[in-house]
Amino acid sequence: MDGTFLLQQLVNGLTLGSVYALIALGYSLVYGILKLLNFAHGEVYMIGAFIGYFVLIGLGGPDALAVPVVVALTLMFLAAMLGAGLLGVLIERFAYRRLRNAPRIAPLITALGVSFFLQSTALLLFGARFRSYSTFEFLGGAVTVGGVRISATRILVVAAAFSLMVVLTLLVGRTTLGKAMRATAYDREAAAMMGIDVDRVIVATFLIGSALAGAAGVMFGLVFFSVFHLMGFAAGLKGFTAAVVGGIGSIPGAMLGGLLIGLAEAFSAAYISSTFQDLIVFLILIAVMLFRPTGLLGKADIRKV
Amino acid sequence: MKRAATLLGLVLVLGLSLVAAGCGGDDDDETTGDTTAATTGDDGGAAADCAGSIGIMAPITGDAASIGEEQLNFTKFAVSEYNEENGTSFALVEGDTQLDPAQASTVAQRFVSDDEILAVVGPAGSQEVSAVGPIFTREDLGFISGSATATDLTNGDFPTFHRVVPNDAAQGPTIGEFIAGELDAQTVFIVDDQTSYSTGLADSATESLEGEDVTVERESVSQDQSDFSALVSNVADADVVFLPWQLANKAQVFAQQLQEQGSDAVVFGSDGLFSADFTQEGSYVSSFAPDITAIDSSAELVEGYEAEYGEFTSTFGPPMYAAAQAALAAISAACEEGEPTREAVAEQIGEADQQDSILGDAISFDDNGDVEGARFYIFRVLGGGEYEPADS
Repeated sequence: MDGTFLLQQLVNGLTLGSVYALIALGYSLVYGILKLLNFAHGEVYMIGAFIGYFVLIGLGGPDALAVPVVVALTLMFLAAMLGAGLLGVLIERFAYRRLRNAPRIAPLITALGVSFFLQSTALLLFGARFRSYSTFEFLGGAVTVGGVRISATRILVVAAAFSLMVVLTLLVGRTTLGKAMRATAYDREAAAMMGIDVDRVIVATFLIGSALAGAAGVMFGLVFFSVFHLMGFAAGLKGFTAAVVGGIGSIPGAMLGGLLIGLAEAFSAAYISSTFQDLIVFLILIAVMLFRPTGLLGKADIRKV
Repeated sequence: MKRAATLLGLVLVLGLSLVAAGCGGDDDDETTGDTTAATTGDDGGAAADCAGSIGIMAPITGDAASIGEEQLNFTKFAVSEYNEENGTSFALVEGDTQLDPAQASTVAQRFVSDDEILAVVGPAGSQEVSAVGPIFTREDLGFISGSATATDLTNGDFPTFHRVVPNDAAQGPTIGEFIAGELDAQTVFIVDDQTSYSTGLADSATESLEGEDVTVERESVSQDQSDFSALVSNVADADVVFLPWQLANKAQVFAQQLQEQGSDAVVFGSDGLFSADFTQEGSYVSSFAPDITAIDSSAELVEGYEAEYGEFTSTFGPPMYAAAQAALAAISAACEEGEPTREAVAEQIGEADQQDSILGDAISFDDNGDVEGARFYIFRVLGGGEYEPADS
């Protein structure tokens, strides 16, 4: 177990972690504003992965692309983010909007329903077969850095994930929309009274969160190849765990949580045993909940009585 | 604190319930005789007046749905072919087990209470056979699996159980000898997928390999994982990595990640990996059934199937065709002796004597319900997803 091995695991963990972080961001954004756990989020991610897949196939497949690789990648990401974003908006419009003032358990159950609905729709539309991006030699195989073999797609995915996180941070911190989002998250009624169009903010939140999930889906496909109709479940659960560990509602928390869970999985598989890797991830969750109930970067929810 | 506690509770409860829902859940589709034209021919003898249904248990939805789809389609195809040839009007009742023993028991209960059902084909998994065995035994309902290979299923507990594929007592040693002999491996890493099928096969292969003085190391990984890169770093130095898995696509990811990290270990997969999804050049897979597209006498059936259902990619479908054929022939035989009862049909299944089955060999069962003369096949994966027989 030398330094190269450690570095290799770091790369493995970072790749998985960036995908989890992007999923966690969607959970956190929506929770921050609506106090709603959108369990259909994992399925939005799955649909994003499928859209990316069909764009890739439509362009001739990974081995016979009709356009340059960069163009193909851009198109895949754009289509998946747009498609997933729109899907998120539709879900909000049809499944959650009417329940906005219902007891919190109602939209939660609806979210599970939407999740199964999307899973079954994908099964009907795409069949049960696993599809593979087969992007193994897409960007020219692997490079060796300090004795560690890293595939070019991994580098691309980590870089793209971090860029998206930076863009999101700027969007929330520096723009008027971001300000409106923060205000709505802080107090929806007060924000409405100040003239903020809360409906528009919520739609924007779903659009952004779901687009990130769509991008995560394509990234997953690029690195781990296989897409299928049930892939959203495990990823959604991990993304949700990451959001909770980081502090649900907190944007930097979701990123930190995602990376942490990804690294924990990689290191426990490498140094302890892959048998226990899920066990260790959820032990971390329990430990964080016990010692820092609001999550690593979450703020305490102070209620006035 | 309270909010956090609620959240934690939610994670756990939802995690558990979603897992349970993933394996259980929706109702089974029931299609009674949708593929079976009710053409009772004028020329039909006793068998032609014979009616009844067979039930199929397969993972039509869920994680293994890609396998279940082919099992279902091959069974449908077998029923319609049989009806057409013999002028019968047997129907097919579908039961979705999702590869889950609990779900399989529910379907089994439904099947035994449906008086039309005289025999069952399936279920797919060995765990499911153990779950439904007692129910079918009590009712003397004969059932024939096209893919359950666990050795102890035919130890006499379930006298009406039969299978058209060999059992794992043969698979472990076959694979062990091949890896130690043909591949001349010194160190082998075995990664099981945490199911009883997989751990059982891993155990028997380990035993066989250690008998040949090969160093064996073991790991296991859940099939919910999609990233094996950390595990791959640990196994990269082995000569051969044996994956007794059922999901070919996961094995493909594993193999690609091995290559990505610069390892030249050879991947050896078990029967579930014979599939268009597993294409890693230079790998090997074993299979409980032959590649029927390479059997001349089955060419016509392959053509007929593909015309109706499209291409198939695994070896899971064709044995179900053979199983359905045996079940239907048994019902016809029972009819000739009068009103067919489940008991009579189960007895007739045991007497099965099918020449030239779709699998290339004749099919008959020994006293335990195992098929006579069955063996495992080993294939080498060529470039472009082609497979060639690697054993003699």
